[in-house]
Amino acid sequence: MDSGLHLVAGLDWGALPQNLILAIGLGAVYALIALGYTMVYGVLKLINFAHSEVFMLGAYTALFTSYWLGFSPEALQQASRESNWLNLLMMLLASMVFCAVVGVIIEFFAYRPMRDQPRIASLITAIGVSLLIQYGGALVLPVSPPPSINEAVNPYRGSIPVQLIAQNPALAAEAAKAKEAFDVADAAFQEQMKAERSEFDLSPRGLELRTAKQVAERNYRTVRKKAEDSGRELSIPKGQMIMFGTTVMLMAVLTWLVLKTRTGRAMRAASHDFDTASLMGISVNRIVTITFIIGSALAGAGAMMQATFIGTPLTTFYAVSLGVKAFVAAVLGGIGNIPGAVLGGMLMALAETLVVWMGKSEWKDAIAFVILIVVLLFRPGGLLGSAKVEKV
Amino acid sequence: MNWPIRIGSIVLAIVVCFGIQYLATTMLKSDGQRLVALAGLYVTLAVSLNMINGITGQFSIGHAAFYCVGAYIAGFVSLRFFQAQPLQPVLWLVVMMVLGAAAACVAGFVVGLPSLRLRGDYLAIVTLGFGEIIRIVIQNTKELGGAYALDKIPAIREIWLVWLLAIVTIAVSRNLLKTARGLAFLAVREDEVASSAMGVNVTQIKVTAFVLGSAFAGAAGALLAHYETSILPTTFSMDVSFIILTMVVLGGSGSITGSALAAVSLFYLPEYLRSQPPVSGASLAAAVIVIVAVVAVLRRIQHHYHGTVAKKVGLYIGSIVGGVVAKLILGALFGLIPAFAKASYTGDKLRMVIFAGTLIIVMLLRPQGIFAHHEFSWTLIRRLYDKVRGKGAQGAPA
Amino acid sequence: MACILAVNARACPRLLEVTNVERKRMTIWTSLAVMALGLSVLAGCKGSEGGGDTTGGATTGSTPGGDGKPTDTGGTTARKAPTGKGNTQSGDTIKIGLVASVNGELKPWGDDCVKGAQLAVDEVNAKGGIQGKKVELLIQDSASKAEQGKSAAEKLVSDGVLGIIGEVASGITLQMANTAFAAGLPIVAVGATRTDITDIGSNVFRVCYTDDFQGPVMAKFAYDELGIKNVAIMTDKAQPYSVGLSDAFRKKFEELGGKIVAEEFYQSPQDKQFGAQLAKIKEAGPEGLFLSGYFTEVGAIARQAKEQGLDVKIFGGDGWDSTELNTAGGEAIVGGFFCNHYNNEETRPEVQDFLQKWAAKFNGEKPATTMGALGYDATMLMLDALGRAKSLDSAALTAAIEETAGFKGVSGEINLTGNNGNPPKRALVVEVTATGQVFRKAYEPSDVK
Repeated sequence: MDSGLHLVAGLDWGALPQNLILAIGLGAVYALIALGYTMVYGVLKLINFAHSEVFMLGAYTALFTSYWLGFSPEALQQASRESNWLNLLMMLLASMVFCAVVGVIIEFFAYRPMRDQPRIASLITAIGVSLLIQYGGALVLPVSPPPSINEAVNPYRGSIPVQLIAQNPALAAEAAKAKEAFDVADAAFQEQMKAERSEFDLSPRGLELRTAKQVAERNYRTVRKKAEDSGRELSIPKGQMIMFGTTVMLMAVLTWLVLKTRTGRAMRAASHDFDTASLMGISVNRIVTITFIIGSALAGAGAMMQATFIGTPLTTFYAVSLGVKAFVAAVLGGIGNIPGAVLGGMLMALAETLVVWMGKSEWKDAIAFVILIVVLLFRPGGLLGSAKVEKV
Repeated sequence: MNWPIRIGSIVLAIVVCFGIQYLATTMLKSDGQRLVALAGLYVTLAVSLNMINGITGQFSIGHAAFYCVGAYIAGFVSLRFFQAQPLQPVLWLVVMMVLGAAAACVAGFVVGLPSLRLRGDYLAIVTLGFGEIIRIVIQNTKELGGAYALDKIPAIREIWLVWLLAIVTIAVSRNLLKTARGLAFLAVREDEVASSAMGVNVTQIKVTAFVLGSAFAGAAGALLAHYETSILPTTFSMDVSFIILTMVVLGGSGSITGSALAAVSLFYLPEYLRSQPPVSGASLAAAVIVIVAVVAVLRRIQHHYHGTVAKKVGLYIGSIVGGVVAKLILGALFGLIPAFAKASYTGDKLRMVIFAGTLIIVMLLRPQGIFAHHEFSWTLIRRLYDKVRGKGAQGAPA
Repeated sequence: MACILAVNARACPRLLEVTNVERKRMTIWTSLAVMALGLSVLAGCKGSEGGGDTTGGATTGSTPGGDGKPTDTGGTTARKAPTGKGNTQSGDTIKIGLVASVNGELKPWGDDCVKGAQLAVDEVNAKGGIQGKKVELLIQDSASKAEQGKSAAEKLVSDGVLGIIGEVASGITLQMANTAFAAGLPIVAVGATRTDITDIGSNVFRVCYTDDFQGPVMAKFAYDELGIKNVAIMTDKAQPYSVGLSDAFRKKFEELGGKIVAEEFYQSPQDKQFGAQLAKIKEAGPEGLFLSGYFTEVGAIARQAKEQGLDVKIFGGDGWDSTELNTAGGEAIVGGFFCNHYNNEETRPEVQDFLQKWAAKFNGEKPATTMGALGYDATMLMLDALGRAKSLDSAALTAAIEETAGFKGVSGEINLTGNNGNPPKRALVVEVTATGQVFRKAYEPSDVK
């Protein structure tokens, strides 16, 4: 509290850098999914509601690949082994490839026949496909299996501490001393524990020692907190940084692909005017397929990283709300615009993180939509998009 | 329309509503009655969304938000004041409907305003976002029950009133299309620029559509609150919005008849499937393969066969019959595989899969919706009949 | 598009009329007004002619009381009697219903619950059924959603079940209990701990303890045994269970003299990253972190807390219990404490007997979650009551359940007589270890008074 960083209206400005770093990891996932939405929308003007299900399947693919690589819970119980970056890379590639295949299949069977139909019909088909994968998947996929995020599977977890402001040395020394006192009390208690039945069913002597240990521990924590508050340390989660790095890399590749290659030019042409592009000798079917391959592969990458670095139990409904948020991110940035999707994803993550930082975590999920509405009121085409008058 | 006919149809509507109530209460148990009531509410929702989406062409995918506003306002007021007020429950329910409608109107106005600037998918996402915001606000408001539920709302269950609301919604929709102003709504849907050049006040039309559509959804919400006696934020989740939208599109965007019929059938489909006996994995696998094949064949016939209408219909029927036979054979064959024969899926697990499959199949075979933009009328039926008989080749109903 | 344009072509020439024919505009509104008038007149008639029964004729769910308004509860002690008449047994079998989350996020619990219930029914049928009749268990899915739970319960009611078993989650159970109340069926909740659920009516029971018990248990355990004086709470705002449990915990913990230094919220199932909330908590410097949500998020929260260097003791409620907890939480969740209903390692004969039966029926497995035992207990309790019921109908069954005393359940002795549906039960605090959970301390209801 005496760090001098607590300035305005109870906001904890000192914690702001930490929050910004956290926003990056969240934004990376939003951005990767948003890229898929935005690409498909750019070319087909279709909200691909099934995109979040592709993401979900990507997470499952990562899971099953990890099993195949020998990291299933059963295998790990028999012989614990450490994974390396190669395994993770294989999981990433498997997810990307599988998602690309799924994306192409969905496009071929569900969206291609609808192409010259009213857009709302394609939209309903997309909703249908999304529901079909969610509920159909639930018939065959194990719901809520363990995600493969044991430390063994992914050693690149944890965080790197970075010191911004050094702790007050006097306080730090005091903390070290308190730690020693705590260790002594703890050792005494552990010694006594040998004669006890359970930590929670103690003899009077044990109880006394435990209380002493707890008092020492509380004292240590208080002092340590004071020491910590005198300085400022950032903890940079490795996983989130890897996610962010991968996202930036994939976006760079994508941008290069779209701006510099022939395929990219064809893609932009199709996005600009689908019918004219096909008249100009562009195989629009091929372009659409490529778009789906790229968009779905990106979702696969995001899914693999989400599953291995973040990890909540998987269900086939895993990505529904995530998909909606990512879509909002895409619209926020200007749908159809690649840097826009990343910007939108990052902005949304930032907004959500900052709402929590301001102590209003219950409003975290509303803020995305509030920002969206406000932005659209002033920039109807999104942040980087241009508002075009639609002609039917 | 002159007055005798008008009064006659009002009387008829009321008689029909009481007929539904009578039949439901005498023939069905409480769960069946509830489904009849909910089906009526879905008709109201679909037809009112059709006003915004189908008739005026404003792409709204957050209709459940208005439903939600109506339900919560009515539920909240009822919870507080029902005991103290002197009205009969039914009258009170009507008052609550008006209140719910008014509240939803305000919400509709608020959402309608951005529609002046936004088009297409951008508007869609704003309506969706509005729904989410409403849900989160309720979730964070203790007085509204938070995530738990707004519970113990007095039970006033009037199936006839539910259906009367549905009929009123249909009537208003229909009348809207019959008037000159109604044409202005259609004009806005077709081309905003051109209609504004023709002297249509586009702003006013759009906002009116939103306000009108949401008012009916709000009234439906009030009925829901008093029927269910316990409402929670997830009752009005995005899925509900999507399902309402699906009803509109599947029935035929812009068609009141289509919306109403699709609402009833799409609402009953999953409920019907809930209690179906389990099917074996073999039969399921066979069905999936055959359905994909039949849909492909039907699409080929639809797009590449140029014979007479009667022959085309014959081919359709032929391929469906063939499909059924193929399914039986395949099912028996698959039954020989032990893993397939052993697996069994209950209707409970399959119902949403079948629902989703239905959406896709209908859209693939009839993207303009079952009714397209047609309305039910005897003329339409006669023309269809003529068409099949090959009499009126040019008689495509407009 | 073509057809739409056709309409357009017809519409456009007439557009000029719009501004001219103002009169026509009135038609909608007049007809609407007339409709409304007719409606209100009719409503009035209905009201007066209906007399006593104004709440929709024959609908079963109408509220009690001559004036059609709900009667006042008049305090919390006496619970309202259910409004409906309930079902009576017809045919050769006795039907009871189970609602479980066979789909959705809570599937691990739903699956165990179904297995437990099936085990109980099979056991009773093998012994010759109830009063010479076989018992038939009808299962409906709630898909982990409250509205679906309501529909499922409605379906069971109309299928003629005598009583309903379920659900695990409080939000779903509330909706089912409302349905059961209106229909007059007894409902025995499996794992719904939210306190106010049994207030609905005298037909609502449960076989588990309430949040008003387990919240204080964890508060007392944390304060007395773990020596934690400053605690942070993370609540799942989308789950009624979590909100209720956090409230109960906070109340007791503050009463004991502890301090809640931070409370942060998240929403299941959409939230996967909790870094921002945890950073906020870290700033507040608590010694313990109370996670009142379900296992679906707890593991990830624990792991992310550890990654941020948040060095605190983690503990929570019975929503933690699942094998997924370990796999999702990994090393981070090890050493956490939560409140459970029973433990597979207990030596009581009921537990050992139950484990044997379970293993015999399900390929030598052990129940993965506590809901297997609770589902078994709930079903057994209802079947036990059926055996004692004076007649085979819902009202008699409700009365028999109310009279349950000294029922030897797997999760402990269950006494429902005079307890308003909430059996006083033991709570076990267990510690999460690398291989599962280990029993640490038991609390009796009297311990936290």
